[in-house]
Amino acid sequence: MVDPANTPLGRMLLDEISPVVMVLRTPLVEEACLKNGLTFIQMLKPFCVFNNIDVPVRTASDQPYRLQKFGLRLFYESDIRQPNLEVAKERLKQVITQAAEKDLSELCSDLPQINNAVSTSENEVLPSWFQFFNKELVHTVSFSDHEAFDHPVACLVVVSSKDDQPINRFVDLFNTNTLPSLLTSGAMDPKILKHYLLVHDNQDGPLEKATKILTEMRSTFGSDCQLLCINSSQDGMVEHQDYPWVLYKSDDLPSQPLRCFLNVDDFNEIKDLMQDLSTKHIIPYMEQKIRVLNQQVSATRKGFRNQIKNLWWRKGKEDVVDSPSGPTYTFNSNESQIRVLGDYAFMLRDYELALSNYRLISTDYKLDKAWKRYAGVQEMMGLAYFMSDQSRKEAEYCMENAFNTYLKVAPSSQQNATRCGLWWVEMLKARYQYKEAATVYFRVCTEEPLHSAVMLEQASYCYLLSKPPMLHKYGFHLVLSGDRYKKCDQIKHAIRTYRSAMSVYKGTTWSHIKDHVHFHIGQWYALLGLYDLAANHVLEVLACSHQSKTTQELFLRDFLQIVQKTGKTFEVLKLQLPEINISSLRVIFEDHRTYASSAAASVKEKIWVSLEEEMIPNLSTARTNWLELQSKLIPMKYKESNVCVAGEAVKVDIEFKNPLQIPLLLSSVSLICELSENSDEMQSDANSSMAGVQNDGESTKLNHRDVNFESSLFSVSDVGFSLRGGETTVVQLTVTPRVEGILQIVGVKWKLSGFVVGFHKFETNPVKMIRKRIQKAKHPHSDNLKFVVVKSVPKLEGVIHPLPKRAYVGDLRNLVLELRNKSEFAIKNLKMKISHPRFLNIGKRESLNREFPACLEKTNSDHSGVLANPTDISHSMFLFPEDTIIQGETPLLWPLWFRAAVPGNISLCITIYYEMGDISSAMRYRTLRMHYNLQVLPSLDVSFQISPCPSRLQEFLVRMDVVNKTSSESFQVHQLSSVGHQWEISLLQPVDAIFPSQSLMAHQALSCFFMLKNHGKPSTSEDEISSHFRLQGTDVRLGTQGSSGPHFDIASSPLADFHHCERLHQEILHKGDTSTVDFILISRPLKNDNNPVGSDPSHLFSHHACHCRQVFTASTSSISWLVDGPQTIYHDFSAPFCEINLSMTLFNSSDVVASVHVNTLDSSTSDNLNDATPVQPATSSDNQEGWHDLSLVTDIKVTSDVLKVRTSKSTPVESVSPFIWTGSSSTRVQLEPMSRTEIPLQVCVFSPGTYDLSNYVLHWNLLLSNDQGNRDRRSSGKCQGYPYYLTVLQSD
Amino acid sequence: MATTACFVIVSRNDIPIYEAEVGSAAKREDAAQLHQFILHAALDIVQDLAWTTSAMYLKAIDRFNDLVVSVYVTADIHTRLMLLHDSRNDDGIKSFFQEVHELYIKTLLNPLYLPGSRITSSHFDTKVRALARKYL
Repeated sequence: MVDPANTPLGRMLLDEISPVVMVLRTPLVEEACLKNGLTFIQMLKPFCVFNNIDVPVRTASDQPYRLQKFGLRLFYESDIRQPNLEVAKERLKQVITQAAEKDLSELCSDLPQINNAVSTSENEVLPSWFQFFNKELVHTVSFSDHEAFDHPVACLVVVSSKDDQPINRFVDLFNTNTLPSLLTSGAMDPKILKHYLLVHDNQDGPLEKATKILTEMRSTFGSDCQLLCINSSQDGMVEHQDYPWVLYKSDDLPSQPLRCFLNVDDFNEIKDLMQDLSTKHIIPYMEQKIRVLNQQVSATRKGFRNQIKNLWWRKGKEDVVDSPSGPTYTFNSNESQIRVLGDYAFMLRDYELALSNYRLISTDYKLDKAWKRYAGVQEMMGLAYFMSDQSRKEAEYCMENAFNTYLKVAPSSQQNATRCGLWWVEMLKARYQYKEAATVYFRVCTEEPLHSAVMLEQASYCYLLSKPPMLHKYGFHLVLSGDRYKKCDQIKHAIRTYRSAMSVYKGTTWSHIKDHVHFHIGQWYALLGLYDLAANHVLEVLACSHQSKTTQELFLRDFLQIVQKTGKTFEVLKLQLPEINISSLRVIFEDHRTYASSAAASVKEKIWVSLEEEMIPNLSTARTNWLELQSKLIPMKYKESNVCVAGEAVKVDIEFKNPLQIPLLLSSVSLICELSENSDEMQSDANSSMAGVQNDGESTKLNHRDVNFESSLFSVSDVGFSLRGGETTVVQLTVTPRVEGILQIVGVKWKLSGFVVGFHKFETNPVKMIRKRIQKAKHPHSDNLKFVVVKSVPKLEGVIHPLPKRAYVGDLRNLVLELRNKSEFAIKNLKMKISHPRFLNIGKRESLNREFPACLEKTNSDHSGVLANPTDISHSMFLFPEDTIIQGETPLLWPLWFRAAVPGNISLCITIYYEMGDISSAMRYRTLRMHYNLQVLPSLDVSFQISPCPSRLQEFLVRMDVVNKTSSESFQVHQLSSVGHQWEISLLQPVDAIFPSQSLMAHQALSCFFMLKNHGKPSTSEDEISSHFRLQGTDVRLGTQGSSGPHFDIASSPLADFHHCERLHQEILHKGDTSTVDFILISRPLKNDNNPVGSDPSHLFSHHACHCRQVFTASTSSISWLVDGPQTIYHDFSAPFCEINLSMTLFNSSDVVASVHVNTLDSSTSDNLNDATPVQPATSSDNQEGWHDLSLVTDIKVTSDVLKVRTSKSTPVESVSPFIWTGSSSTRVQLEPMSRTEIPLQVCVFSPGTYDLSNYVLHWNLLLSNDQGNRDRRSSGKCQGYPYYLTVLQSD
Repeated sequence: MATTACFVIVSRNDIPIYEAEVGSAAKREDAAQLHQFILHAALDIVQDLAWTTSAMYLKAIDRFNDLVVSVYVTADIHTRLMLLHDSRNDDGIKSFFQEVHELYIKTLLNPLYLPGSRITSSHFDTKVRALARKYL
């Protein structure tokens, strides 16, 4: 444990609590001293502190002890009074301001590191002016009336030898009214020790006069008289090396070294004088006073009796005095005497005695509610405990008690509290309780912002010095302190504290803290005019998405103001406004792959590759030998890097995001690029890599390059836009290299609000690249932002117009593909491929100028319309004619047919391959990729159902169901065509009956029936496709009679082509029969607005239903038959019976030979038909027949087995059968495929009536060869005959 | 309901991973940063105290004027739930911490949540705010 006296507090107490000597002097004394530039007190001051005085002292106890350290405080009588608070404040402010001036240079330096701050020792951390400031604060409460240690112990009366009548002067000095109020008001004993001093200036004359006055004084005042000779230097000014005043130099001393007239003799004389004064006069006087007072106190207060008496007396006094400041005590009151005793004992280092007296008096003051005095005594007790190195707890308790009491009493005691707090802090510091000290500092803070600022700053250093350092608290208190400094306009101090705090908060993720610190320090720097520093700090807080809108506005506005004040364009690497989403970075460049639109570039490479597979010459085959020109043009080195063409823009998509809620204005957004010309390949590569390395280090250098030079090499696009709050925008920036070389895209720059330039460099280190590669699978080699620029080659530009964005299903349109080649070099060998041939079909060049849809109309002449394209469309690669060369400004126009085939979102990809006319160019071929998205909405849903005509062979009923699935459109059904020359379709009813309203409104459904006839031999499917593509068929006009629209030729080019595509597509769904029929329904949309009835002539819809098959109701039998014969016969039944001849026509619709076997069942045994009996008497009409017919046909198949069972039961009922089959009961025939035959049948009728001749069974069996063993089809079957009603009547 | 309450979850290296102003008082512009400062400064004391006790709930450990900082340290000692409040409802705060701790553990169980990263789940946020209304 350090000796308490050697701690800072100990030294402080030695200075502050030591006997006060009041100095009374005449003006002449002062004048003599001022010759040396010093006042009288200043002159004496260096000699008032004795480190080794070694005086024996005996106080209350009998045991003397030796006093080593001692000091005196000298004050002029005018200074011994309570200092003026306002003046004190002003002085404190000055101190702080001065301190601020000193370390201005530091403010601009780099930020301090926290590690440095922790490792430095206390003295280095703490600014030196803290001590001085604290001292000044303590002095603001000196000379209060309740503290006896500030009361003068002695009085030094000084008169100059030049004064007139010096003896009278001595008397006058003490009797003037200028004595301090302490003496006159009765707070202290006015009878104090007096010491008379005569000052003689040796320059004024010989010593004799002075000695004469001295003897005179001695006779008048007794022995307490001394003579002091000064200015005895004979040879003028003396420069002193070891100038004693330098050591005691404080700010109230003039700082420059003084030249004075004092010589060594004078020094010694002053020294002797002060030592003499202390040891011979002041200390003995105090000893004596202590002893006297101690005796008095013992007599009145010590002992049991006195205590009781005292208590009693206090009790009685209690209700008398209750003034706010407590009772007043005169110097001769008991309490004051005890306090004086305590203070004197303290000053003479007898802490035991002091403590006991303080304890005694504190209870009295407490009982008297003299709180200020009580607090003062408590304070002294704490200090006494500390100095005597006794119980720490007691000391701290006393200090806290005093502090709290001071605060409690009145605001007037605030200064006392501050002083108490400061001492308390020192006490804690002396014991290394920094944490506690910091809290005390915090409590010392008052409303006065300047004081609080200094206290908080000291508190923060305490936190820093505590073990382990409490850095969070350190930062926080520094910030609090800084705010208070700012409040009283001490900006430099504020910045200093914030800078220190920055070391704690650097890189913090506590967003509000970071914003606060950076923003304020930035603002303050701006106030000082250090705009660069200010901008740097405010820059940090710009991207504050967590702040409110007003705060964001404030930050941005301040930042822009500061930047404006810097007066130059401010360049920031990684400006956070706006944010750049690097992962969104997408580079679109065109090597041999060119894109018609950005949409095309965004389609996955895989799709293109699969589309172009067949068109692009394989690289290995293209290069015929290793001396190939191509391999020379692009050096091997760059095989892996990207290739772009001079004069063609490289596009970079970058996503900018505004993190704030306020709009941002961006201008001059452009790419930063480097292009090194490759005069020599190897060297340029080396150069460019060198340049890259340099630029990593200093990016801003890029901007200062010669702009003219750059622009000759390449040009970059310049974009300006504004981002609303929170908005994200993808911006496309381009760079167009002009010469061959190596192009490197380094980064992007932009201007925020017109004068802040932001940079962002694209990272190109390998780690990043790997990540990018994953994200941008699109360009396997393009992740590098480095391009080899090759010589300019022709580039084809293409557009299809007018391709609709949305269409209804079936919409048929004529489009034009326009291809342009801007360069003068020709391109040739064009090929085109379309991803969806169902949607887009290539027309013939001749049809370019034809009017649509008129060109589709059927005319009388046979070959009028454009015939279908004979090329194989399924392959869908289209070769332009060999002589197609595109060059210069003339575009190539080519017709395309568009038909919306299926509903949904369709992405159409079209790729066009072309080769360069000029062989020497760096690329042999290029591809143009076009991409269109279109939305196809459902329109008419057409379905067909075909069922065989029951009464006729080769004729079918077609039921067409049309549903309009649109929400608003109306359609007019125009024409229905069947495809294939063997089919013929015809109306079953007049058109008006089918379409009464002549149009299909939205959501309307419609069914109608047609008759389909197969006339003639069907051709096989092979025939149809290979030999004779021209579609033949029959059409049915469905339009109204009045609006006689044209017939459309389904054999014309687009319709037939699309039909073919549809066929191919739908074939997958219906696998099977050749005996299918395709239908094409052509409709037109109705104009919605003004003409709801008339159709829009320019639009045409075609709906293709392919591979419609007949639906067999009974089974999928391929054998059909028809029984033919008379319906009604008149016969005279007087003759025995009636013979009727019938014939059965059999038709084999399958493609194999069938064996058919017809069994007629004898009526006696197997005429089972119960229902024949009810029919029998009836004279049937056609209608009834039809009705029965249907029910029977449907029933037969299901119940045939059951009926047979029933027949046995019914036989007894029927005795006579009404008719019998005659002729052979069983016939077997072989039927060739697609052939018919006729079998004769005969029946005998015995009585008139109506007979159902359905009791026969048809067995058929397809004679399939092995390889035709088709699972789907039945190879054999049995059919019940269907009813044939014969009416036999009695002839008259 | 406390008039002022600022809740923060601080992760390793004193990085806040969740912040919420859950007080009922009208939000003042400068309050947010003051609260952050106080909570940030209290980390020193948490550091000292956390190792001296086995209890997770450290009660009120620091104060600034009339604002009190209560802390709950999770088992991995790095994650600290800190609440700045001006109410004296000790039991409520304790319950609040326990329930939020449970929520935090559930968040940790999310395989997509990287421990130590910011908690952005809106579900977590609404739950915490509901708990604050219930207990504080």
